[in-house]
Amino acid sequence: MPKGLLLTLALLCSAGGIAWLALAMEVHWQQVRASAAGPDRRTAIGLRVLGGAALAVSFGVCLLADHVTMAVLVWVMSLAASALLVAQVLAWRPRWLAWLTTPWAERQSH
Amino acid sequence: MFPTFRLSMTWLHTWFGLVLGYVLIVVFFFGSLSVFDREIDRWAIPETRFAPQPMSSFDTMLAPIFARMTPEADELQAAAKRVRGPLPATLVPMNWGAYTTHRDPVLSLYAEYAVPNNPDDPDDHVHGHVTIDPRNGRLLPDDRLKIGSEFFYPMHYGLNLTWKDLGYWIVGFAALVMLAALVSGVVIHRRIFRELFTFRPRKHVQRSTLDLHNLTGVVALPFHFMFALTGLTVFASIYLPVSETLLKPQAMAAAMADAKAKGLPFKPAGVQAPLASVDAMVVEAKRRWAARGMPGEVGYLYVNHVGDRNSYVTLYRAGSDRVTLVGQPIHFEGTSGRVLLEEPPPSAVAGVNDFLTGLHLQHFEHWLLRWFYVFGGLSGCLCIATGFIFFVEKRKRQHAKAGTGGARWADAVAVATVTGMLVATLAILVANRLLPAEMAQRGDWEKASFWGAWVIAAVHALWRSAPVRDARLSPAWAEQCGAIAALAFAAVALNWITTGDHLVRTLGERFWPVAGLDLALLVAGAIAAMAAVALRRRAGVAVAETGAAAPDDAETANA
Repeated sequence: MPKGLLLTLALLCSAGGIAWLALAMEVHWQQVRASAAGPDRRTAIGLRVLGGAALAVSFGVCLLADHVTMAVLVWVMSLAASALLVAQVLAWRPRWLAWLTTPWAERQSH
Repeated sequence: MFPTFRLSMTWLHTWFGLVLGYVLIVVFFFGSLSVFDREIDRWAIPETRFAPQPMSSFDTMLAPIFARMTPEADELQAAAKRVRGPLPATLVPMNWGAYTTHRDPVLSLYAEYAVPNNPDDPDDHVHGHVTIDPRNGRLLPDDRLKIGSEFFYPMHYGLNLTWKDLGYWIVGFAALVMLAALVSGVVIHRRIFRELFTFRPRKHVQRSTLDLHNLTGVVALPFHFMFALTGLTVFASIYLPVSETLLKPQAMAAAMADAKAKGLPFKPAGVQAPLASVDAMVVEAKRRWAARGMPGEVGYLYVNHVGDRNSYVTLYRAGSDRVTLVGQPIHFEGTSGRVLLEEPPPSAVAGVNDFLTGLHLQHFEHWLLRWFYVFGGLSGCLCIATGFIFFVEKRKRQHAKAGTGGARWADAVAVATVTGMLVATLAILVANRLLPAEMAQRGDWEKASFWGAWVIAAVHALWRSAPVRDARLSPAWAEQCGAIAALAFAAVALNWITTGDHLVRTLGERFWPVAGLDLALLVAGAIAAMAAVALRRRAGVAVAETGAAAPDDAETANA
């Protein structure tokens, strides 16, 4: 795979992972779902696992794209950029992240 | 002194952050610009707007140029005062160096010339520099200021204060305080994990400013920490110059022992001898790097003991695919061209040092990571700027009631450093395009326009700061944002008018050094214009609300 594509994939996984980790927190789940309740315990764990896995995939893809010393820097910086991006989306347009909670749409509705 | 650890850390963070923040924001901002220093050079010197070139042929192009080079006139004048008797008419070259990177279309050459008869320093020497167009060997005018690499970059590490190296020391102290500010900031942040992604722009200014301060500080914390730390290690030899002072004999002995162990002649033999083909050495070096699984170009070429029987040539691989700086040096005997030594991989300690240095100096070829560094640097600026605003917001009502001027002064200096710095940066770019091409001392005038614009911005910030005394917003913020927008758009327009390189052309040709800077200027101008409008609107609202008690909460009260 060309390097540009790998890095794009790594960035997407990083942003998604950070978003899922944020959604596992009560206040951000409420913002995104526009609901009064936070995620239940199992949902929160699921979101954390998914978020962690996405970040791990992101690191793996960084390793495929670059020499290991470079990959570490790219990954750490991508986490920082993703965190700022997710925080801004949560502040201004939280509903944009709603699709990331689709797997839990059923369980939370009843 | 304080009842709790957290309160003492709050005091440290507040006051050291405020005072050194004025320095740190300059370091962060010009560090961010230095990530693209070569590209800014291209924008500032239109004659050099062409694609990067590999290292030129030494035998056919560089050798004759080196032979014609002469020492800098100002260095000769200074050296004449250090020696007994007059200086010889021509000085003998000791060493030659040529340096390029994957981002440099031009090639810079330098030479060191021995200065004899200095009673205090037997190794006294002076330097000569030229920059050439590697496509044809033509010398480029050396009176043009490389705004990126010769003005913004030194601003980053030394504030361009060269008197007694004062700038280095101020920046070094600021970096040390930065580390303390980061640690104390983490200590006083009550909900670092719970509010990791929290930004509440619709709450009152004090709250949303603190949110943004925390957010930009915490998410980029690894970046801030590593860059403050590696900034100090890069210049460790300046801050702790033991090998130049206390341990100088030992350092000299170690260097000699090292050279002996490696079989590299430490001193010239004093017997003249011609130099073998350096181009053949380049071919051999590239072959050896490729055999090690790290093919690359020559980044740095160095001829030791020029013209002597003991001469040797060292070739360094250009930084590209690794974080570590230029490296993997191979030494060749000058007279025969045979390999004297292929340096083994560095020891663990040297390897870590090379990594930390390379991490900070970023010679690598990775555009995404470069932009991430700009992001990290600018988020640091945002963190410091919001720190200033929070400091003022928190105090201005109390100070207004008490009739003291502290908040007013802090705010005025914040305007002068935050927006004033941007005004100055844009002023030098505008001056670069406006000053006549053949003007004598043109670079000095460009620098003067930078400092002049900054002084005017500082005076304006002070002059307009009176409303802060009544707990209102200083109009200087909005006015300087307006000036930033106007200057940024003017710089792009002037680049078009004076060089014909408008964005449609540079984007069409994918000439990113110029297209990228023009685009960045347009984005900066647009943000500044929006900020100016928003600040004006807010000033109007604030006047209507004067007297209303500001809402507060536990953390903003304590921080």
